[in-house]
Amino acid sequence: MMETVFDQLSTQCVAKCDYAKTGLHWSVFLPASEIVRAAKLLYKEECFLEDITAIDVKEGYLVVYRFNHMDRPCRVALRVLVPHAAPKLPSISHVFHGAEWHERETHDFYGIEFSDNPNLVPLLLPADLDVHPLQKEEGARASLADLLTPCEVLRAEPGFDLLTPKAEEEGKKAKTAGAEATGA
Amino acid sequence: MRNEKLDLVTGDFYTQNFQKGARENTLILNLGPQHPSTHGVLRVLLELDGEYVLRAEPVLGYLHRMHEKMAEVKTLVQYMPNMGRVDYGHPLAWNWAFAGAAERLGGIEVPERAEFIRVISTELNRITSHLLWWGAYILDLGAFTPIMYAFDDRERLLDMLQILTGSRLTYSSFRIGGVCADINDKFIELCKDFIPYMRSRLPMYKALVTDNIILRKRVEEIGVFDQDMIRRYGATGPVARGSGIDYDVRRAEPYSVYDRFDWQVPVYQKGDAMARYLVRLDEIEQSMRIVEQALAQLPEGKIIVDKAPKYTWKAPKGEACFPVEGGRGLIAVHVISDGGKTPYKIKLRAPGFSNLSLFAEASRGTLLADSVAILGSLDLIIPEIDR
Repeated sequence: MMETVFDQLSTQCVAKCDYAKTGLHWSVFLPASEIVRAAKLLYKEECFLEDITAIDVKEGYLVVYRFNHMDRPCRVALRVLVPHAAPKLPSISHVFHGAEWHERETHDFYGIEFSDNPNLVPLLLPADLDVHPLQKEEGARASLADLLTPCEVLRAEPGFDLLTPKAEEEGKKAKTAGAEATGA
Repeated sequence: MRNEKLDLVTGDFYTQNFQKGARENTLILNLGPQHPSTHGVLRVLLELDGEYVLRAEPVLGYLHRMHEKMAEVKTLVQYMPNMGRVDYGHPLAWNWAFAGAAERLGGIEVPERAEFIRVISTELNRITSHLLWWGAYILDLGAFTPIMYAFDDRERLLDMLQILTGSRLTYSSFRIGGVCADINDKFIELCKDFIPYMRSRLPMYKALVTDNIILRKRVEEIGVFDQDMIRRYGATGPVARGSGIDYDVRRAEPYSVYDRFDWQVPVYQKGDAMARYLVRLDEIEQSMRIVEQALAQLPEGKIIVDKAPKYTWKAPKGEACFPVEGGRGLIAVHVISDGGKTPYKIKLRAPGFSNLSLFAEASRGTLLADSVAILGSLDLIIPEIDR
């Protein structure tokens, strides 16, 4: 089952999602260095790759890999955060050959580089286009915690804060609550 | 590539990129983007050794309209017509995938009658999609008559769907919260006439086309995909079911009221083009069974929720998808909202995109005519692949 797969990886966070609300069963955050191993483990489990995409957030580009299984349906979203300044991670197209095209599309739209993708030329956009259309302006980016539906975190490494809402708001709330309590 | 005699560099970026791996004495040929079959604007670069395809590379993007960017500048309600244009074969399935995702985000429950209307219209749309595929596939293989018969049947279906949707091809009749139009007596009359009529046509198609020795020689044992290949490329729908994988989203991730009807998922084991062909023809019959039962069980009620989202509706923050079984396979529209006027991001997961990606591997070493038969058996609708 999926939990045994996640146990074999050094994950940053493993969370169970509310399927009825999101359509996802699992949401797992990984470092870029683990994604190829994760793909190999899921291949051994006979999963298939639904798609690869990215979300442009304040913290970086969140590359999302969605896997599923044909006999035991289970939608797993593997999430890898890469920085805006150096959006690079390894390709999984040597494990799931269909990933070659999904990675090319993600590169077209976001400029993310998948090293050792065998053919990282534009797939959908013109070959001579020099913009990546789905990149967001600095001011338009939201924080990841403000986008994803809250899920049940099973385990997270210390210091993992991508899913916690912005601290300054919590601090403000605490201050107002404190002020009201003292009647100031 | 360099034309030695004329000292010219010919071919565009993709031809030159493709040519880098060419062997000696092979011919680099473009199949498309304009060619006499109704796949759409698909270009396939081929390296040929005589009639044998050594290498093939589909080149996409000729119909790319950046739907995912359009989603970021339109409100969710305004985006529905885009879903009709993504896949002209089975647009109602795309409508459903998108409406379902928005409803999941907004916590909106669709009335029962609307669910039934959604099932009926989507299944009738599946039949039109498979008929179009069937006619065009046989046309690819060289027969000119079946497409005329298929389109004649489609005319009756389009009359029915026009009552429910107002359109003939690029339907956007689903609304977030229900559907836009109700079933009336005229529709029921047309439907009650259509189903027996179609059932009488299918044996004729079998005798004329499916059992035809010329067709059988063209598609039997051509393009065998094993289950590992299906999984490596994420191919779904009839492509997977023709290789013995019993995977249909309507059964794997049940939605709406499909579980109230008695119907089968056709699965064939051989994995060749003929198996995929038979899966789709059987699905026409199964869709008719679903429509019959749905009409018989149709409840009274509203066709859309009260206070259905208007065009200024903002979805609450969150992420949702609603996977649906389209004519070509698993369709999923992932909507990510930050609670603002327009969605933060929408990802359109097109089944044809994954299905086509296995063509490069599948066509290696085949005869050119056989690679065309394989391409047709994938049931490609290019607007869905390019989006």
